[in-house]
Amino acid sequence: MKKAQEEMIGFALIIIVVAVIILVFIGFSLKSPQKEAVESYEINSFIQSFLQQTSDCRDNLEYLSIQKLIFDCNDGEICLDGRNTCEVLDSTLRGITEESWKIEESPIKGYNLEIISNGVETLVIEKGNITSNFKGSSQDFSKGGGLTEIFFKTYY
Amino acid sequence: MQIMVKKAQIKIQQMAFVLIAVTLFFVLVGMFILTIKFSGLKESATELEEKNAILLVTKLANSPEFSCGESYGASRINCVDSDKIISLKEDIYSGFWGVEGIEIRKIYPKESTKICNLGNYNDCNVIKIGTNEISGNYISSFVSLCKKELREGENYDKCEIAKLMVSYKTK
Repeated sequence: MKKAQEEMIGFALIIIVVAVIILVFIGFSLKSPQKEAVESYEINSFIQSFLQQTSDCRDNLEYLSIQKLIFDCNDGEICLDGRNTCEVLDSTLRGITEESWKIEESPIKGYNLEIISNGVETLVIEKGNITSNFKGSSQDFSKGGGLTEIFFKTYY
Repeated sequence: MQIMVKKAQIKIQQMAFVLIAVTLFFVLVGMFILTIKFSGLKESATELEEKNAILLVTKLANSPEFSCGESYGASRINCVDSDKIISLKEDIYSGFWGVEGIEIRKIYPKESTKICNLGNYNDCNVIKIGTNEISGNYISSFVSLCKKELREGENYDKCEIAKLMVSYKTK
């Protein structure tokens, strides 16, 4: 009688252990991956796209893209209408980032855009809160031996 | 001898009960898992549509129908030819990409929404491909929307940052 009772307890224990293992397994398999606030491809495409933006600053040949405006700003050039290329770069990029990453309407809490040319900060645009969760991307390009690096981070 | 036979019979009975109980237990667990899996089928279908939209949005700008190619100087990535896609508004392309709708919306400088057609092409900021509206479920990516423009009697390449939005169906 006692042996039968022991066997029943043993069987019940096995059932409980197996049930717990199965529940843990189901819990893991049903856990759907959380959607990210911002995806890496969005940040990469943002940098690539704003570099191609045509500004309203023109030189003797053409209306300058943001990429060319960065080079001209580094060289201290001015637009044909007399404006400083660095000022045009700053105002255009501020407008683009503000319209592209709306902090008030999205899970994004802040962003930071840095342009560094030959180790010197050409432009820094920062808005919102800097949190510990961020996603970022960078892009390098060079002209005449000088290296320009662009870093963009979004905080969520 | 009789006692031995009886004991053996009890043991066999015991084993049979254990086997039945184990089988029943696994059948119940299996049914439980199947019920949960099937109840999530609609969510899985929506997730698949979403994944498809993500894949599409990352490659669409560089597809032959959208890309600038070498029309604006050197080959550019993430560049959408506005002059090319305005013709994609035709109904023959609806359903071509297997998504609900595709929209390209200029984001800078900010202007009120004006949907493009062949009549207002130079003064609009939203190009819609397909007839469906972009609903709450969409995936977006940034692109450079380029076109040839005339200013002060001179042709030049104008590129503006825009959002490429792909909307997908929810099941």
